[in-house]
Amino acid sequence: MSFFLPLAHALVARKDLPVPAWLFAWGASLVLIVSFFALSAGWRKPRFEDERWRPLGERFSRTLMSLPVRVLCGAIGVFLLGFSVYAGLRGTEAPDRNFALTFIFVTAWLGFAFFSAIFGDVFRPFNPWRAAGRAVGGAFALLAGQRSAHLRYPERLGRWPAAIGLLAVVWLEVIYGASGGVAVGLSPHACAVAALAYSFYTLAMMALFGVEKWCETGEIFSVYFGMFSQLGGFGAKDGRLGRRLPLAASTHWASVPGSAAVVIASIASTSFDGAQEGALKDAIVQTFEWLAETGLGLTTSLRLADTIFMLACFAGVGLVYMIGVRGMSTVRGAPPARELRRGFAHTLIPIAFAYLVAHYFSLFVFQEQAQFGYLLSDPLGTATTDLFGTAGNGIDFKLLSANAIWYVQVGALVVGHVVGLTLAHDRAVSYWGDYRQAARSQYWMLAVMVAFTCFGLYLLSVANS
Amino acid sequence: MNSNTTRVVAGIAVVAVAVALFVVLKDDGKSASEKVEEQTKTEHAGANGSPEITTIVIKHGKPVGGIAQLTYNEGEQVRFKVDSDVSDEVHMHGYDIMKDVEAGGSVTFDFPATLEGVFEAELEDRKEQILELTVNP
Repeated sequence: MSFFLPLAHALVARKDLPVPAWLFAWGASLVLIVSFFALSAGWRKPRFEDERWRPLGERFSRTLMSLPVRVLCGAIGVFLLGFSVYAGLRGTEAPDRNFALTFIFVTAWLGFAFFSAIFGDVFRPFNPWRAAGRAVGGAFALLAGQRSAHLRYPERLGRWPAAIGLLAVVWLEVIYGASGGVAVGLSPHACAVAALAYSFYTLAMMALFGVEKWCETGEIFSVYFGMFSQLGGFGAKDGRLGRRLPLAASTHWASVPGSAAVVIASIASTSFDGAQEGALKDAIVQTFEWLAETGLGLTTSLRLADTIFMLACFAGVGLVYMIGVRGMSTVRGAPPARELRRGFAHTLIPIAFAYLVAHYFSLFVFQEQAQFGYLLSDPLGTATTDLFGTAGNGIDFKLLSANAIWYVQVGALVVGHVVGLTLAHDRAVSYWGDYRQAARSQYWMLAVMVAFTCFGLYLLSVANS
Repeated sequence: MNSNTTRVVAGIAVVAVAVALFVVLKDDGKSASEKVEEQTKTEHAGANGSPEITTIVIKHGKPVGGIAQLTYNEGEQVRFKVDSDVSDEVHMHGYDIMKDVEAGGSVTFDFPATLEGVFEAELEDRKEQILELTVNP
């Protein structure tokens, strides 16, 4: 049907070319070879269970963690959130010319994820809600002469609020912005209103359960970036900064219930965004037409069809993981399935990160030129302001050739696969004292990872075809 | 042979196999893309050798026959014409070329394919996509 026209990202003027067949074949072969090699080359004692944290220099650490620096970082976070809301409400409705959309969904949403995975939790000091919550809490303690009391957080809920919130953020980004059966993208105004609503919700939850508790379990951005930060090489302990063995912090991340749901939601939402213009396009169009014929409005039909497929992605990714867990639990000496489910969830973080890099790396590189070019000088898109003299700058699409993007995409998936296997093998060795049983259990995780990685490669090779 | 030596040997074998696969598959890829190049050349050139122009006809503000698809290799000359029954601005995204078109008029685009990727052209005021331009490396 010609009236159906999916435009996933109103922001990008250039879409990636699908990965060519030869590179797909090479990537998939490499994944299989590496996997079989991993089976033969396993180690016999866990190496990542201890993160081997070593403090950084006393003065450096104390300066970075000092109150003025924390207040400054928090203030920067609050200012940027406030400014994005202002730009969204007052600026142009053209998505690509308004500061709000690019800042929230590209610079912050992708940028914090990328940098967290390398360095550690870089979002925490800049988290505007945490800063505001702590400021209010501090003021209360000062005035009332006592610390504020909180409700007990229901531990069984764990990170489920964040997992559902993560799906909601992606839903808002790629599904909500439909109009008349056409995906036109989220408008800056809607984005600003959503940011305001989320701020009220978050501050209310922080008042109920406490700032740190909510950041650990329910605050979407803290949990999401926090998940990737487990891979990074730096971390704070007892108010001191230190270096740690990269990847190692992740081994204890999933002990909170619902953590597996967070990482699965991350993989599923990236898959859905990648597949909606390629692998799933026909199925979505058919469902959309079927819904539209039942008399639903075009906008509702498109949103509903997309929502169904996004949830199907979540269920599908979750199912593959559960099959792996079920398989492992059949190996002699296995801990209960429930413990396995939590125990291996962190091994999917590198896969989730690889998906993110593969699908959004080029968007990030291109759109950041806009962020630090015309969006910085003319944040409202009025075409009359030029704060830093960069309002006329465009995006240099020659910065990345198609070949460069392909190699980064396939490279990210292969590296993510290897890191995931490494973590899974390490965990298996710590669960099964016996090396042979550990290796046997890993046939299952190997199958899960090969499935995810090859599916990721497949998504790239049929992108917008 | 102790286990460390086995691992080193296995590691080298893996690298060797991967490199071999890369070379074999990439050669295949090259010849395939050359075939595509020949195809596109004959597609874009008319019988007498003069380049034939794809025309996108706009009726009631929408492209007739759906969104047009054009595929080129980098360095070739992109040429297409838009015949429109509505007045609007045609915006070739990525290349950022804008041309006004009158109702009942036509406008011709002719530019070198210097950027790789997938780009869209749309009727700017109507936000109606009329062309998907693919430029392969």
